[in-house]
Amino acid sequence: MFRRRATAISAIAVFSVILAGCSAPGSDKKSSGDDSGPIKIALVDAQSGQLSSLGAWELKGARLAIDEWNAAGGINGRQIELGVFDDQGDPTTGTNLARKIDSEGYVAMIGTAESAVTIAMAPILKQAEIPNITSGQSPGLVAAGSEFLFLNGPTSTTYDETLAKHIVDQQGIKSIAMISNNGSYGKGEHDAFLKALQSRSVTPVADQVVTTDQKDFSAVLTGIRQKNPKVIFLGAEEVESGLIVKQARDLGITATFAGAAPQGTPVFLDTAGAKNAEGTIVSSPYLGNETSDASKKFAAAYKAKYNEEAELHGAKAYDGTQIMLTALKTSNVASGKALADAIRATKYQGLLGDFAFDTTGVGISATAIGTIQNGKLVAAAG
Amino acid sequence: MRTKLVVGAALALAAWLLPYGLDSYAIHVVNVILIFAVLAVGLGLCMGVAGQVNLAQVAFFGVGAYATAILTTHSGLGFWVSGVLALAATVLVGLVVGTPALRVQSHYLGIVTLGLALAFTNWVTNAQISGGAEGISAIPVPTLPGVDLSNEYLYYYLELIVFVLALAFGLFVVRTGLGRRLRAMRDDSLAAGALGAEVPLLRMTAFLLASVYGGVAGVLYAGLIRYVAPESFGIANMFLLLGMVIIGGRQSLIGCVVGAVSLYLVREWLSDHPTIAQLAYGAVVVLVVVFAPTGLAGLPARFRDLLRRRRGRSGTAARLAPFRPYTEPAEPSTGTGAPILAISRVTMRFRGLKALDDVSLTVGRGEIRGVVGPNGSGKTTLFNVISGLYRPTGGRVEFLGTDLTGSSPYRLARAGMSRTFQNLRLFGDLTVEENILVALDRSRTLGAWRYLLGPIAVLRQDRDLHRRARDVLDQYGLTEFAGLAPKSLPYGIQRRVEIARAVAAAPSLLLLDEPAAGLNGEEVRQLSEIVRSIRDSGITVIIIEHNMGLVMSLCERITVLASGRIIAEGEPAEVASTPAVIEAYLGDSMDSDDLPSIPEVTK
Amino acid sequence: MQIFLQTIIGGVSLGAVYALVALGFSLVYRTMGLVNFAHGNVVTVGAYLASTFYLSSKLPFALAMLVAIAVTGLIGLIIERVLRPLENRDFDLMLIGTIGFGIVLDALVIMIWGATGRAVPSPVPAAPIDLFGVRIRTYDLVVLAIAAAATILLVLFLSRTKRGAAMQAVAMDHEAATAVGIHVGRSNAIAFMIGAGLAALAGGLVGPLLYVSPALGGTLGIKGFAAAILGGFGSIPGAIVGGLAIGILDSFTAGHFQGYSELVTFLVFTVIIMVRPTGIFGERTVNRA
Repeated sequence: MFRRRATAISAIAVFSVILAGCSAPGSDKKSSGDDSGPIKIALVDAQSGQLSSLGAWELKGARLAIDEWNAAGGINGRQIELGVFDDQGDPTTGTNLARKIDSEGYVAMIGTAESAVTIAMAPILKQAEIPNITSGQSPGLVAAGSEFLFLNGPTSTTYDETLAKHIVDQQGIKSIAMISNNGSYGKGEHDAFLKALQSRSVTPVADQVVTTDQKDFSAVLTGIRQKNPKVIFLGAEEVESGLIVKQARDLGITATFAGAAPQGTPVFLDTAGAKNAEGTIVSSPYLGNETSDASKKFAAAYKAKYNEEAELHGAKAYDGTQIMLTALKTSNVASGKALADAIRATKYQGLLGDFAFDTTGVGISATAIGTIQNGKLVAAAG
Repeated sequence: MRTKLVVGAALALAAWLLPYGLDSYAIHVVNVILIFAVLAVGLGLCMGVAGQVNLAQVAFFGVGAYATAILTTHSGLGFWVSGVLALAATVLVGLVVGTPALRVQSHYLGIVTLGLALAFTNWVTNAQISGGAEGISAIPVPTLPGVDLSNEYLYYYLELIVFVLALAFGLFVVRTGLGRRLRAMRDDSLAAGALGAEVPLLRMTAFLLASVYGGVAGVLYAGLIRYVAPESFGIANMFLLLGMVIIGGRQSLIGCVVGAVSLYLVREWLSDHPTIAQLAYGAVVVLVVVFAPTGLAGLPARFRDLLRRRRGRSGTAARLAPFRPYTEPAEPSTGTGAPILAISRVTMRFRGLKALDDVSLTVGRGEIRGVVGPNGSGKTTLFNVISGLYRPTGGRVEFLGTDLTGSSPYRLARAGMSRTFQNLRLFGDLTVEENILVALDRSRTLGAWRYLLGPIAVLRQDRDLHRRARDVLDQYGLTEFAGLAPKSLPYGIQRRVEIARAVAAAPSLLLLDEPAAGLNGEEVRQLSEIVRSIRDSGITVIIIEHNMGLVMSLCERITVLASGRIIAEGEPAEVASTPAVIEAYLGDSMDSDDLPSIPEVTK
Repeated sequence: MQIFLQTIIGGVSLGAVYALVALGFSLVYRTMGLVNFAHGNVVTVGAYLASTFYLSSKLPFALAMLVAIAVTGLIGLIIERVLRPLENRDFDLMLIGTIGFGIVLDALVIMIWGATGRAVPSPVPAAPIDLFGVRIRTYDLVVLAIAAAATILLVLFLSRTKRGAAMQAVAMDHEAATAVGIHVGRSNAIAFMIGAGLAALAGGLVGPLLYVSPALGGTLGIKGFAAAILGGFGSIPGAIVGGLAIGILDSFTAGHFQGYSELVTFLVFTVIIMVRPTGIFGERTVNRA
């Protein structure tokens, strides 16, 4: 009975396939390029798993930008539709999704926040000619060499060059220790900052590596304490950096901490404790919600929509989405190569600074130095 | 048979034509699913068939993919050469990961393999050669003359061929001697060992198989995705894989494939709602485990059972046929020849408790020896020492003239010792016939290379084994039960199956541990006839029994144990009148079972 | 020397938390033969509840903790009811069944509290104690004291009360306990409730040390399970010793092997388990032929 049914089903399947014609496999009827209906933009980020917090922030920022444009009537009278895809922080899933957004006719992609996933997706998106604005900042993204890949912020090289310039050149501090994690972000930061130090012939007094889900840093920090550095560089995401700072202060380490964008975020401040994080030097294109009119407006809108404070990742995704939509508008809703060229040509004054893309797809090549004072990130004097 | 062929042909045709109906994304999903299916089959072989908890399958997958990536990008080797080397590397890793299985099982093995899998991701995240957290990109496209494998539609055919071969090989293993022994080990490793299954080797074989499948999937992955990074081989994917195997039905390889396909499709379908997908996936896993522990593959059988019960057909109609005695004695049975078993001064201590105290015992060829004694007198401990389950604290065990003290049970079994167990240890998920087959099959596990090089010979041997198994079943009157699960049978029949199984292993010495327990009078009489016939065929028998009637009538000599010591030995009548024996029984308990009673068995 | 001592102290602090997690694993396992891989997710739930009561309801930390333990204990009862069919099943089924349930709990946590997580300020603001250059956080001492108190209470409960004695009996022999009229189901439910309470205790205590997010319980769960195995699965002293051992081992490998610490930790763990498969105190299982 069961078997006969199976036979029947497969027979029908076979028959219908034969009816479908004898063309070679792979004839793909793409639905992109139609001029009616909403413009489909994909957001790919981790919405589940370990990295889902990043994905959640990104989504909030991107959604805010799109809602603003849609409220203003969309582009050429067409609404913008945001498709959300969950990559689970897994590059394999990322490659699947790259093909999926291609076959479902998305014209552009926002995300991901995880460099490794974006690098995995890059070749497929390049082949499919889908422009992608990522929030990653690994130099590896530039090395991927895709003319369809854009970064909505600087790379680690920029962050850390600025930071090293401030610490070594301007403040004359040479006694520097480094702690970085072995994740893609931490590794990129480690390499970039070390390079910036070496170019100034400074050797760090300690260079410690931790894992991404390490919880106790006693051994590492006690080792650093004995070296008595003036500045400790952090190459880790906000939560882990916060834990390191908290534990360092408990161990009696009084050195100043320094780092890139994550060290300026509220999550870092909360995790470390405002008192412990006092004085931290931050190299970031986004020094908080109070720095400009644009950021105040963004922060207010963000607060109104989600009832929580805006932060860096949301701002980055917001900027990236704004650029994408602007390029869509200026190119008259182009797709593929034309859209990529339009993005490259887009000059945009965003929350993170003035975007002007170079050939590598990096839009911003400057960061500002801020310090944490009284629990707030403020621009450093001078 | 014919329907099977038709279904197979239809499936093959459908698989061949499948790409014609799919867009470029769908074909990619299918390609990924096929890789997961290969992985799931490997995990099914290791966990479902061999019962070895393996949470490192995803690490095997990773080793295969990473090794291919490193060899092609760093060493500049061709894709296929790299693939073969990667497979070898995976097998090596598989054997290392499998080593703990020699010492630990169940949840211990679970956490150890999980830890080693985490250690692997930790290593690739750090090592320079594996590209750190950003992984390795730009793995070259595998080359095949005349075929462009960068085209996913064509890659599908490559995967399809590999998958079909992998599945076919898996099914071949499961359905022949090696797989039977693996399943026997899963159901009861002690009994499997006592029947000569080389348990340590079999456990390593399970991990070997798992790693081969993992490696093959890894190589395919490297060729398909052409990018590797640590997150793809992390714990979340391991759990997904586990979910596939359990949902599909871990004991059936087809089930594993069905599980891989269906779980992946469901997740794909729900991928726009990640949190809901997560909730649904978790809930499905729980529901399957609770309500359908045999997975999707077990559903048809459950429905059939349900239908049968609905229709009111109860149990089985199979009937036990009489035992057909062995006709020709293999060799003239002489009670006096060289001793087959000589135990001297054996002592066995458990945490200060002396279960056996200076026990010496000699059993001659062709004897039926009875071992009796009150509960807790050390009878079963003695059997466990003789059959190698326990290593004695002191003393020697000589079997057939060689000192085999402390040898592992399977070595003793292969040397010609066979036993039954007090609490029945039949392989529960094997049929009665398969139980017999496990015992009949004396091929070595190391000979498993023949599965690759001489599959025809394996099949021929298996056919021969089946014929002999039918003979055994027929002799013991069990033919009608051949295809049934042992657990569904009445107790007395299970006892008979266990004896048939022990004798099928062609031992020279047979140890029976309380074979009459739970049998009715008629069954005891049949038992006595069977045991005598077994002896007449040239097999020496040692029997532990509480049923004194049986012992008195059956045994030539009786050894009496009390508190771990031998207190009497001799012919039945002689022993029964020894004052020490009577005292030991009365002093120990008043349980009537233990008392020497009037012989129930008359000859 | 200073580094050595400081490393041990760092290890002990998290080790105490691992010990609490391991205690929950062991208690549930010995009573009902269930290896509950959702235990780590229950820790997450407990951590969220404790931090919610502490941060939003402005309850004092101790009170927030108690409420969280009580609520998680009740949730534990529900979980036990759901997982009951898995008790005394074969390990593969239990493994995947409880993992599946953990995934459900994870999804629920994300639905209720979101994916982004929260930081919990330390409830003990006192400065760390300085002992010849070795610094001990006051909060660590609090954690250790609470963990010790919880263990003592648990042991007293098991040995001195009637209900506890009944649970011990169930742990030793399921059938015999039923035969003498002990309600096995109730014992199991209570064991699970206490196990969940311990998870909430661990989660609540670790909140101010770390960062409360949906991913919190995952690592704690794996390390806690490893700790329970290392100490001897099902053994109460084993859970404590195993937890501290894993914490210290972790701490030292992090110092010496940097990024490779996890690799070394699990290799060492594997070797120990192979040398002594039943852990330090031994699982009491008898393999009868």
